Amino acid sequence: MTDEPILEARGLTKRFGSIAAVDGIDLELRRGESLAVFGPNGAGKTTLTRILTSTLRPTSGTLRIAGRDPREDELRSRRILGLISHQTFLYDDLSARENLVFFARMHGLRDARERADALLASVGLGERADDPAGTFSRGMQQRLALARCLVHDPEIVFLDEPFTGLDPHAASLFRAALGRIRSEGRTLFLVTHSLAEGLELCERWTILSAGRIAARGRSEETDRAALEREYFLRVGKPRSPGAVA
Amino acid sequence: MRAPGAPAGPGFLRGALAVAAKDLRLEWRTLEALSAMALFSLIVLVVFNFAFDLSTVRRLGAARLVPGVLWITFSFSGIVGFARSFQIERRRDSLTALLLAPVDRGALFAGKALANLAALLALEALVLPLSAVFFDYDLLAVLGPMLLVVGLHTIGLAELGTLFAAVAARVGRGEALLATLLFPAASPVLIAAVRCTSAVLDGSDLASASRWMLVTAGFDGLFFFVALLTFEHVLED
Amino acid sequence: MKAAGRLPCPALLLATAALMPAALWMAFVYAPEEKVMGPVQRIFYFHVPSAAVTFASVLVLAVASVAHLTTRRRIWDHVALAATEIGLVFCTIVLVTGPIWAKSAWGAWWTWEARLTTTLVLWLLLAAILMVRGYAESREQAARLAAVLGIVAALDVPIVYKAVDWWRGQHPVVFGRGREAALAPGMLVAFLFCLVVFFLLYASLLCLRVRLLDLRERARDLSDLLGER
Repeated sequence: MTDEPILEARGLTKRFGSIAAVDGIDLELRRGESLAVFGPNGAGKTTLTRILTSTLRPTSGTLRIAGRDPREDELRSRRILGLISHQTFLYDDLSARENLVFFARMHGLRDARERADALLASVGLGERADDPAGTFSRGMQQRLALARCLVHDPEIVFLDEPFTGLDPHAASLFRAALGRIRSEGRTLFLVTHSLAEGLELCERWTILSAGRIAARGRSEETDRAALEREYFLRVGKPRSPGAVA
Repeated sequence: MRAPGAPAGPGFLRGALAVAAKDLRLEWRTLEALSAMALFSLIVLVVFNFAFDLSTVRRLGAARLVPGVLWITFSFSGIVGFARSFQIERRRDSLTALLLAPVDRGALFAGKALANLAALLALEALVLPLSAVFFDYDLLAVLGPMLLVVGLHTIGLAELGTLFAAVAARVGRGEALLATLLFPAASPVLIAAVRCTSAVLDGSDLASASRWMLVTAGFDGLFFFVALLTFEHVLED
Repeated sequence: MKAAGRLPCPALLLATAALMPAALWMAFVYAPEEKVMGPVQRIFYFHVPSAAVTFASVLVLAVASVAHLTTRRRIWDHVALAATEIGLVFCTIVLVTGPIWAKSAWGAWWTWEARLTTTLVLWLLLAAILMVRGYAESREQAARLAAVLGIVAALDVPIVYKAVDWWRGQHPVVFGRGREAALAPGMLVAFLFCLVVFFLLYASLLCLRVRLLDLRERARDLSDLLGER
């Protein structure tokens, strides 16, 4: 049971007109594993994330979340996955607590308010709970987004460039929060530009280039300089500008 | 931090109500849509008074003139509000988070449509007395039937308006495309609305307009289900 | 995709090409002249078949839209798009020929008569669907949104008709129920013949358009394949 992969993708492909944004990707993630996906703009990272979270239909290929095709039982797969992106998905004019209570209700939690308060405290926003999310700094907003993502206690968390726009201090706070959610046994799928962050946070890494997996490895066996050499070797030929990020 | 036991999802009704409550709370806090709609309505009413001189208004009487003025005001202001209800989801891409919630897409439609209906009814509560003042008719004498007629026909506008606003937002367009889609499609509701309002202002029995009310009731019911079933295809990427 | 290759386009085209001159002859020569209206009445051998084709096209649009949303096959989107475009063309013919007849029969270019008004509303709906297709960010999105709007439009048409009918009251209609018996036999034959030929013309155009859309799609797929090498 525990050996069954929580996420299994075979030959995922997504075409937009004449561009294959994602081109025949195979992936496997076991429960509690963490994977960093590196790649330049236009490598297909966001498209891949959207396919894996079932917000975008692949042109071809199969996907299984916790052993089943998410298309067969959409509500079930949505219950076990969470997504954080560089967009916060929050409402600026609602308070931090109202935002969380709303998303808790959308996930059917009965004790939405208690859950919201507990999460706010855990990301260090307890004192700002009643302030509108729009008045928060970028770092606080991103921590609130993390709380939003965890509201329904997802087993697998997708992160699409979550460090975008964070200053070093905010980034280190956010990194610490991510480390915590990993230690809680959640599966992590992290898309990032930053090789250092990916290596630090995730057990495995993979390089995406032109919609394909160009290289993969284990973080403990990889030192930063070697990964950098590998990365620039693989993505040396940048794709045409304006391709799907 | 972990929550005790995985939640099963809110179900259709609670999901829809959560979306509606959230939209109305946002609107109540900012009054962005309602203030724009109210100002716009005021302008439309004033422009109509410029368009007809006073003798025309007197000669035709309220029952001939006011229904058309009212429903043009309602539908154009409605368009302003409908378009905004999806703009708020685009600002921080919160639509993505809504799509990841374990609720049926139809519940998202029902919630949005409910909030849009409530906002438009609030606007109408403001515009009706104003029109009674501007066009000099006795609103209090016909208040009951008037509320019934306005409510029934506003449902149809809010339903199709919400569906089309989602379509327009999906292709990155706003009010202009929404108006292009809504006016032809909602023409039966608009015709029926004008007919019924006219009957109310004439002081005639509502039974005389009953077949129009039936058309609208059927229209409201039909397109509610059509929108419920098709909304997922509109929201999908 | 292969389904489009099996469409009987050449046969339909041949039949249309052969019968269209005959239809013209039936309408202009064979059919007896109407006593009151004179030659203008002959416009109805084109006007009414165009209207019939327009509303049949809406039916095709509805079926193809539902089929596309349930199966997500491209061929159904091609049929829906073709039905929208060709429906719009015949709708335009109806809207142009109607007023020409109305001017000489009723003395006014435009009357808000139920059938004419419904056709106008339909024209607006079809044009709006093509607009949304043009704005869409991808072919898949265009197909899905157009399918949703196509279903709404098709369901809307009978309601619009009924509403306008009650709104403006009954106006005289030439080929209405109960009046058909009053048509001279020659007129009826000419009318039915033209109706059949117009449906053949519609089927040929639909067939060609679907085939063209399909070929364009395959050309795109091929250029994608070549572009990757």
